[in-house]
Amino acid sequence: MDVIPSLDLLDGQVVRLLHGDFARVTAYGDPETVLDSLGVPRGSRLHIVDLEASRSGRPVEKEIVRRLASRGLRIQAGGGIRSLADARTWIETGAEKVVIGTVAADSPEVLRAIVNDLGADRVIAAIDVRDGIVRVAGWERDAKSSLAEVFARVEQLGIGEVLITDISKDGAMRGPSFALYRSLRTKMRIIASGGVSTISDVVSLSRIGSVGACVIGRALLDGRIRLAEARARVATPNAIPERIIPCLDVRDGRVVKGVNFVDIRDAGDPVECAIRYEAEGGDELVILDISATDANRSTALDVVRRVSESLFIPLTVGGGVRTIEDFRALLRAGADRVAINTAAIRNPQLIADCAREFGVQAVVLSCDAKRAGDHYEAMVRGGKESSGVDAVEWCRRAEELGAGEILLTSVDRDGTNSGYDIELLRAVTSIVRIGVIASGGAGNVEHFRDAIEAGGARAVLAASLFHDRRLSIGDVKQFLASEGIPVR
Amino acid sequence: MKTTLIDSPVANVANIARALRVAGAELDVTRDPETIANAKKLVLPGVGSFIAAMRWLTENNIDTAIRAAVNDGASLLGICVGHQLLFDSSSEMGTTRGLGLIRGEVRQFDSVLPVPQIGWNRVATSGPLFEDVENSVFYFVNSYAAMNTPDEIARADYGGPFTAAVQRERVFGVQFHPEKSSAAGLRVLRNYIAWT
Repeated sequence: MDVIPSLDLLDGQVVRLLHGDFARVTAYGDPETVLDSLGVPRGSRLHIVDLEASRSGRPVEKEIVRRLASRGLRIQAGGGIRSLADARTWIETGAEKVVIGTVAADSPEVLRAIVNDLGADRVIAAIDVRDGIVRVAGWERDAKSSLAEVFARVEQLGIGEVLITDISKDGAMRGPSFALYRSLRTKMRIIASGGVSTISDVVSLSRIGSVGACVIGRALLDGRIRLAEARARVATPNAIPERIIPCLDVRDGRVVKGVNFVDIRDAGDPVECAIRYEAEGGDELVILDISATDANRSTALDVVRRVSESLFIPLTVGGGVRTIEDFRALLRAGADRVAINTAAIRNPQLIADCAREFGVQAVVLSCDAKRAGDHYEAMVRGGKESSGVDAVEWCRRAEELGAGEILLTSVDRDGTNSGYDIELLRAVTSIVRIGVIASGGAGNVEHFRDAIEAGGARAVLAASLFHDRRLSIGDVKQFLASEGIPVR
Repeated sequence: MKTTLIDSPVANVANIARALRVAGAELDVTRDPETIANAKKLVLPGVGSFIAAMRWLTENNIDTAIRAAVNDGASLLGICVGHQLLFDSSSEMGTTRGLGLIRGEVRQFDSVLPVPQIGWNRVATSGPLFEDVENSVFYFVNSYAAMNTPDEIARADYGGPFTAAVQRERVFGVQFHPEKSSAAGLRVLRNYIAWT
């Protein structure tokens, strides 16, 4: 998949408009400086939008396109192209392709004239969609034709690439419209646009078969996505499988299960469960010790010892870890990684101390997050008590301190089977580079996909769903593979 | 034939011992240089720091014992940092010499991806060590790796290709953790134990 940087130009500067409003401009400087700072190499495709042209219909940024084309960039230029003359202007200034919007949706005869004159391979049809309806004229009104009609017409003219923007998502950093792109059936290469705000968004788009490229604007300018990293990730999109992690909640040596951290009942022997999960294809096992008292801590160690003796996948253990000695005891008992929760909130230095002593790969921050108005709060004591700490900020800080991964549980969704909290996941995955394990809310196979695809999770955890055999790990992996998401 | 597991303190010996036993090894776990020098099938584990692992080998004359055994026709499997120790050197803190049984240098990942690599990765494999491995995805935890080495028998990609396994005559090394790689990992250990 091509990753295409996108620059909006106004008065010779690279800018962003908030929600298309010319009164709310953020300027980023001249195009050459911006391209250098983004690390855009020669030969790269570059998407250019002439905002003045899209407002007034007059192409004004011709000189910039000429300069950038002479730097060896393959430019696709757009913005208010309403006529064959406009389209020719861009090609004459050195653009490789023109991006045709409103005309493609509303004026079939003009589109045909442009294609006949310039050739179909010089034309990208740009279609803006809101709630399944094509919007035109700077998103001001609905197009005369439906999405299917516009698609058919463009395809029939021999145009090979179509740029689809879900305008309800554009610039808002809420993520691209994966569902829209999945639903489109076409032989044309889709260029996805709008809402791409994390590396994970780019990777997820690359896994959708019909998506051949994506354009990225603000996320590159803001440094949320580094172009080189995005290109490296999509160059080998299937090398690193996404992980499915079964979880055993253990109390007093037995597997138990509960809803919303309460109403707990007995559900089996940990060793038997662990063996079954590895055989089903679990990529890792998490054991959370929810014993209420210290007296039972030694029971938990014994469980870890017995499980690790029968297990040949990585084992993460959490629950009640207060000191570096607790951490060491669990590693000695056979854990590969240890999750710290309440104690780390009370003493953040514990994360740094454990990372130094045992390596970052051994340290997992377990964060139980609960929505509190417009933000999330980190909960302590098994999700029962608020810590007053902002959960998202806490995750960012834990990465700084040396956590190797974050196990992020939505207390609101836990046990509800209503799906992972995608908003919570995005809030965290968009600001940390370490992996995030999604937890809390799994109910069906689509939930696992969404946590990875839209949430940006690098692993997905479930407990009761697997335990009750409502789904097997194999079911989940088979579905993910069918959706283009690599699994082991 | 007995398999001799070198009981390095800079390693996860217990986990590897367990996996080797499940894979069918009759195991001798030792740090005695003489036993190691006379062994026929050796396993060298290692985690953490290359320097610390190498220092332990040299200070206890295990390095000499390993070379003697290999010269005598023993086979050897290095795992994770044990694999890295087989090479000429590592760039961890300047340059540290390794055992020099495999040509090449171990270097820190120069990757756009987060380092250390922690997790499963798909591996392109060849040779007897990987025979009958159905799904060659293995579990890695590493910040350093050998890259583009002449004796490479398996390669993976982490923001750039790196050597996932090597073989030079009777000396094998795997950068991943077979003891954490489920059936695929146990198969590799079984193949090593059965290899003659």
